[in-house]
Amino acid sequence: MPSQVDTAKITPTLLAIAQRENAAVLAKSLTIDNLNGGGDRIIEIDDIFTPAVTNGVAVPVPTTVERFKYTANQGDQITLGEVELKGVRCLGAMSVISDVDDTSCFISLGYEHEE
Amino acid sequence: MLELQPKPQFSVVVPPKLLQEGYLVTFSSDWPSTHVAIREKTFRIDVCNQVPYDLPYIIPTGDYRDVDFSNGAGTFQESIYPENLTSLFEVLVGFKPGNFLTHWYIPAGKSIHALEYAQMYPDLTSTKKKYLGARQPKDSPYNDPRIKLYFVKDLAPLIMRVFVLPGVDYENCITGLTINKCKLREIESPTDEQKLKAKVIRYYDYLRW
Repeated sequence: MPSQVDTAKITPTLLAIAQRENAAVLAKSLTIDNLNGGGDRIIEIDDIFTPAVTNGVAVPVPTTVERFKYTANQGDQITLGEVELKGVRCLGAMSVISDVDDTSCFISLGYEHEE
Repeated sequence: MLELQPKPQFSVVVPPKLLQEGYLVTFSSDWPSTHVAIREKTFRIDVCNQVPYDLPYIIPTGDYRDVDFSNGAGTFQESIYPENLTSLFEVLVGFKPGNFLTHWYIPAGKSIHALEYAQMYPDLTSTKKKYLGARQPKDSPYNDPRIKLYFVKDLAPLIMRVFVLPGVDYENCITGLTINKCKLREIESPTDEQKLKAKVIRYYDYLRW
């Protein structure tokens, strides 16, 4: 299971798992280290993709679907495992974002591609 | 304690899923005259080459995409058909799990799985008849595909309509193909034994009567 770590950011930078067109991405673990963060942080897992051309939509546009949201209180460190993240499945790129940039709040994401 | 395992009385041989080199194929007499190059002829397969190919489509709920296997530059065309008269493409189709189903048409608009009573054909606008003739991912899993197609040059377009069922916002409908490219060599005067051994490939119309 690969993993990535970054500080909390409003826009996804490192914590953006690239889309693999022929496999969904499953979130397996999410650790939010907000022990020294500057405040409560709302952390989201977003699914970013452009749908296929269909008979109903001739010109699809890039789409973001929110798949998971969690509030990490200031001073807390929380690890969410497979049980808590069950069903969090991204069809496109999986990205983790925060409501506020915070260089003291660390986020680690474990993920797998669905075979 | 000593136990002697008895010798098995028989063994089960599982035949290969795909056509192999040296196999014989015959195209039946129900192929139309537009396919005169293969109609009522027997061929030996000289060379095989299996080409895997995944077709992923992210489709919103309640919407569908007509996947056209024929050749061309159209938006929905996937260009899976052969271009040579001496090629036969045997295609295995499997699906990764997902909240979708497929309907099959050849040529476009003509369902393979209509029943005989009036209006008993697949209809995506009907809550019941969208399941009529539908092939779902569990019917042909990605790792154990059970849908098999045979393509020759200039075959009418085969359409796979991929429809996302309600209950999800979007679904990534992943179709895994294994395209077994077979190079054919005609047997001018096949013996009765060769005719008997050959796999018969019929024209699609035999599915509708």
